[in-house]
Amino acid sequence: MFEKEFQHIQELAKKHGIQHYDVYLSKSKAFSVKIFRRDIDSFNYSDSIGLGIRVVLDDITGYSYTEKLDRESLESALLNAIKNAKIVDFKEKVVLENYPSINEDLDIYNKDLLGIPVEDKIKKAKELEKIALDYDKRIVNVPHALIGDNESFFKIANSSGLNKEYSTNACYGFSFCLAKEGEETKSGYFEALSRDFNDIKPQNISNEAAQKALELLGAREIKSGNYPILFNNEMAATLLSTFWRIFSAKIVQEGQSLLKGQLGNNITHSIVNIIDDALLNNGYNTRPFDDEGYPSQKTELISDGVLQSFLHNTITALKDDTNSTGNASRSYKSTINISPSNLYIKPGLSSKNDLYSKFPKCLEIVQLSGMHSGCNTISGDFSMGAQGFYCENGQRKYPIHNFTVSGNFLQLMKQIVGIAADLKFKLSAIGAPSILVEDLSISG
Amino acid sequence: MIKKSIIERVLQKALSNGADFSELFLEDSISSTIQLLDSKIVKSINGNDYGAGIRVFYGHKAIYAFTNDVSEKGLLKAAEAVNKAQIGDKSLEIIDLTEILYDSPHKILIPFDSVPHQDKIALIHLIDSASRNFSAYISQVSINYLEKVQQVMIANSEGLFTQDQRTYARVYVSSIAHKDNQMQTGSEGPGALMGYEFINNLNPEELGRTTAERAVKMLLADYAPSGKFPIIIGNAFGGVIFHEACGHSLETTSVAKGASVFADKLETQIANSCLTAIDDGTIPNKWGSSTIDDEGSPTKRTVLIDKGVLKSFMIDKLGGIKIGIPSTGSGRRQSYKFAPTSRMRNTYIDTGTDTIDDMISSINYGIYAKKMGGGSVQPGTGDFNFSVGEGYLIENGKVSKPVRGATLIGNGRDILKKISMISNDLEMAEGMCGSQSGSIPTCVGQPTIKVDEIVVGGRKKNA
Repeated sequence: MFEKEFQHIQELAKKHGIQHYDVYLSKSKAFSVKIFRRDIDSFNYSDSIGLGIRVVLDDITGYSYTEKLDRESLESALLNAIKNAKIVDFKEKVVLENYPSINEDLDIYNKDLLGIPVEDKIKKAKELEKIALDYDKRIVNVPHALIGDNESFFKIANSSGLNKEYSTNACYGFSFCLAKEGEETKSGYFEALSRDFNDIKPQNISNEAAQKALELLGAREIKSGNYPILFNNEMAATLLSTFWRIFSAKIVQEGQSLLKGQLGNNITHSIVNIIDDALLNNGYNTRPFDDEGYPSQKTELISDGVLQSFLHNTITALKDDTNSTGNASRSYKSTINISPSNLYIKPGLSSKNDLYSKFPKCLEIVQLSGMHSGCNTISGDFSMGAQGFYCENGQRKYPIHNFTVSGNFLQLMKQIVGIAADLKFKLSAIGAPSILVEDLSISG
Repeated sequence: MIKKSIIERVLQKALSNGADFSELFLEDSISSTIQLLDSKIVKSINGNDYGAGIRVFYGHKAIYAFTNDVSEKGLLKAAEAVNKAQIGDKSLEIIDLTEILYDSPHKILIPFDSVPHQDKIALIHLIDSASRNFSAYISQVSINYLEKVQQVMIANSEGLFTQDQRTYARVYVSSIAHKDNQMQTGSEGPGALMGYEFINNLNPEELGRTTAERAVKMLLADYAPSGKFPIIIGNAFGGVIFHEACGHSLETTSVAKGASVFADKLETQIANSCLTAIDDGTIPNKWGSSTIDDEGSPTKRTVLIDKGVLKSFMIDKLGGIKIGIPSTGSGRRQSYKFAPTSRMRNTYIDTGTDTIDDMISSINYGIYAKKMGGGSVQPGTGDFNFSVGEGYLIENGKVSKPVRGATLIGNGRDILKKISMISNDLEMAEGMCGSQSGSIPTCVGQPTIKVDEIVVGGRKKNA
């Protein structure tokens, strides 16, 4: 697709004497339907396309974008990128090469998803709400019962002859419900993501969401102090989502990461392995190459507790005299940055039950709040509102609420003493198994 | 932009599953931003946003889709997507489109592309050096220059067919002063619905200097006291409190849901009788003005509160259907990627007859919040919390010394009744307002006002 447009930009670049440039195009379709009180609450459909041009003149980069792809608009986008490069004062070496392709055949597009009728999606979203409400009479409200899908096409070409494209799609279901008993209200949510619409099972999603809200009812307060803390898989993934930027080479080079100067050092407990894998089987962000066209790979960031690598694009890699890890990210409107692909803490061999029984008592955390205001991603310090369970003798005793958990992300990683086998990915493509942390401060 | 016959087919298609109403919004925008940091131009990016949004109503419900495939095929596909959402009970035919173009009172004199880039860069550097030259405490200056031309076309199944062009220019300056571990910021962001003539008329030295001066003044100031005091809130950006704490509650988006404390208060006294408040989308070349709104209705001057009595809400088309009052031309959206909803334009407290001197001399001990900073409002309750960007202590009827770190804590409904004096120095200030339909240009404004009592959160114990 879009060969004609890319061909045209190539001709224009030649005409205007531009030797170093790349072109990035994304086309995405998204659909979602939300049900509230048996009726459609919101219904969104979008089909959008955009093309970004990056021109490099004497180590200065100029950008521009357009959502119109006729010849005239493409030419003015190119001329604008040139004009922009001429007024910027900020110099930075940029690499543009014809990178090789991966050998693997990735299974990231299911053409059957295209044919699912809208009526079926609406029906499934209605089921999501009904199943949650029918689960228990204490489930009083389902503010979010959502079914959606999206499909994206990416194409990248540069002045060194690179010209690659791929398509990917996925669908998801989401249920968020409120359980009420007396004056107490608790929430629970569950999400499922797949490339097969049949895998989105309202029964599983809504039962799980309802169960999670109900089991928190009857929560008690907890005394301040230090406790062993078990983060369930979703909350461990939430922590990693909050702090992944410490692994970005760009953040490290800007002096904003607490991992600066730590390559090769032991930075976590030796049972911890953190991996970014753009080739992961069934991963939401699985892809053949990144937003610079650099081939995808699996990168061990932490192996057996030792910091092995940061996440790089080719610009940061050049500064550190290393290779890109294929983590360049951009949108057609933005400048080049760094993002994880499928990032996760490697699961261990223990069951979650093993983790409960590691200490005579511990607290299990199943909900966190205040990730934005309570977390300093530069220092790693966090203080977040939490809910969960008080556990004793290897099992949950009663739900607890109204407390905060605080500490430092790096400190926490050093104190991980148990990792379960229950790896779960969030819709952000960041995942984790349940983890047990030896000692964290709780204030109730 | 596209042929009338295609638009008619698209509108009919969107209507064809029994909807009450269908609408097509087409946008073609060119925008450009230049950013300075560390006294260097670090970023310059521009682009062309182009696409269409299709909306249909089924009773009180709106369904929205957008695409930037604006070929007939692409638009029909989007129309088909919205009509699949529901089956309605109507079988309507669209009314033939007749194009109506409104005369724009917002004249544009100098198009952006007629001005060389070097002139824009030179102006940005002038602001930067004026700020840095003001004081050695200035450690960073961030400047964002923005220009945008938005072309829109709107048509609907009731026969409406019109176009508009909006031209925006703005410069946003933040000067940061540092001393030891302390940091204070002074910001200004003048903008207008104008071409480059607006930028030409700016005084770059003054912009750099005033932002630096405010940052340094606050850096060296003592902490503000806390407690309940009478306060004076300065003109222009001081209107942000009315905008956040009252304005949003007068939009039909919150009125129709019953989420507004003012929902059933039309024609009742909700404020002190000295207060008149207006939302005006017609002021020539003002940042929040436009000839028509994003639903194609001509904008209006809407008196919200007249001498303390609530007179009108800000109403969009769907909100109007819900509450049974016609649109006030307040349907706005960031771009074709958003469905429109009721939004503010240029919202201000109207001029009064008091003087600042009379206000200050009426206060024994209080705070003069000359320039407001940012803040937030709890939507359901109207409780607000705003920081003071430039504040002074008032002692014995005189402004005594600058104070920093003050926050004003209160409630939108209460504060309206406690505004007791209004001066005659009405001014407006430009901002971006974020809400359901995206981020849009709006003005806030007021003359200097006196509030009899408000809770001030400071760092110091009550003096």
